[in-house]
Amino acid sequence: MKKGLEDILDDLYDIEGIEACILYRIDGVPIMLRTCGYKEELLKTMFWLEKQIKHVFGEMNKEGLNDTVFNFRNNRILIAPSSKSTVLVTIATGEANQQLISMETLRATRIIEKCVVFN
Amino acid sequence: MKMGRVSTGIYGLDDLMGGGFRENTINAIRGGTGVGKTTFALQYTLYGLNRGEKVLFISFEMSEKQILRDCMDMGWDEIKDHVEKENLKIIHLFGEDLTFPSLDLAEMIRTSIPYNCQKIVIDPLTHPTFYTEKEIRKSLSTIFQELRKIGTTLIVLEEPANGNQLFEGSLMPLYLADTVIHLQNLGFGELYDRTLRIMKHRGSKHGDSLYPYTIEMGMGIVIHASDKQLDRVKPKNKFEAVFSDAIEKARSMGLIGKSLSGRIGTLQKNWTRDEDPTEVIKLVLREESKGYEKRT
Repeated sequence: MKKGLEDILDDLYDIEGIEACILYRIDGVPIMLRTCGYKEELLKTMFWLEKQIKHVFGEMNKEGLNDTVFNFRNNRILIAPSSKSTVLVTIATGEANQQLISMETLRATRIIEKCVVFN
Repeated sequence: MKMGRVSTGIYGLDDLMGGGFRENTINAIRGGTGVGKTTFALQYTLYGLNRGEKVLFISFEMSEKQILRDCMDMGWDEIKDHVEKENLKIIHLFGEDLTFPSLDLAEMIRTSIPYNCQKIVIDPLTHPTFYTEKEIRKSLSTIFQELRKIGTTLIVLEEPANGNQLFEGSLMPLYLADTVIHLQNLGFGELYDRTLRIMKHRGSKHGDSLYPYTIEMGMGIVIHASDKQLDRVKPKNKFEAVFSDAIEKARSMGLIGKSLSGRIGTLQKNWTRDEDPTEVIKLVLREESKGYEKRT
């Protein structure tokens, strides 16, 4: 199960233009992450995300949204719930192929759901 | 297992804690209702008992009968034998009955502890029922000093029901404990709902991820750390040349050289990252040489 999660994050992180992909629990606790190392701006975004995840997730549930996008500085942040208790976030550069990243992120959420939900 | 370590008895946890709890320490397990704190405590108890150890179990909530029944329900039938053979002594008491908590509790432990007992479990330490705010730190410190002399202690702490934040509303000063493990359960029935985090493990390298766990009948708590998470707590040998070179350099630094080379050796033994330690070592040697250069 956890190997599957590690692999899916590795694959997602390999896509050009993705600066970070983070799997959060709905209370904002990061479960797993892939980043390119230390970047102050990225760290600020991650702190912001930790505080917002619970609220954003709640709003998305209320509105029935599959994903939500925030544009920060030169980053595009895609938030996509992957199960009842997990949320996948990808942080990509503005120049990255956004369509590809959206598709791959949503595909990843489906795999993550299979990994984290007990049958 | 490393010398001076006491196994936690939790499947998969020792590897994340440098071999387990350190001997003669106070180890706190903290979490809300239903996360498995008592299961943790009983598993720690049983692991020791099944290896010939003696355990004193102080319960502020459950009676001996209830504890035995819970163990039997988990499939840990051998617990009864351990009580009969007096390897396990269970004391059930109420906080309100202790007039001078720090003195009474320490005295009670001293008088009722089985011969050669090395493990003590307190489940839960409901000090608010018998401590005033001002007394907490001093009283707990006194109790802990006594407990450290006897053996390795596990203390279960109940988190307030509304305590979403880890340290908000914390009733016990956690800095008094040598190890703090936080258990959580969100209640969605998914892999990362039940998680364990090692908040603190004094004098020891430990995993700093969020580890999912399950409670299995017959077994107890099982930690599901991934291979990558386990790899992150294993010392890396590939930088031997970098460390040897640094130790040589440190040795040539006169008086401070001896202790510094020893400390670099400790860093080498505990270097668990894949990153090259050169930058860290360079910084340390540069800073340390400042004082050394002044003296020479």
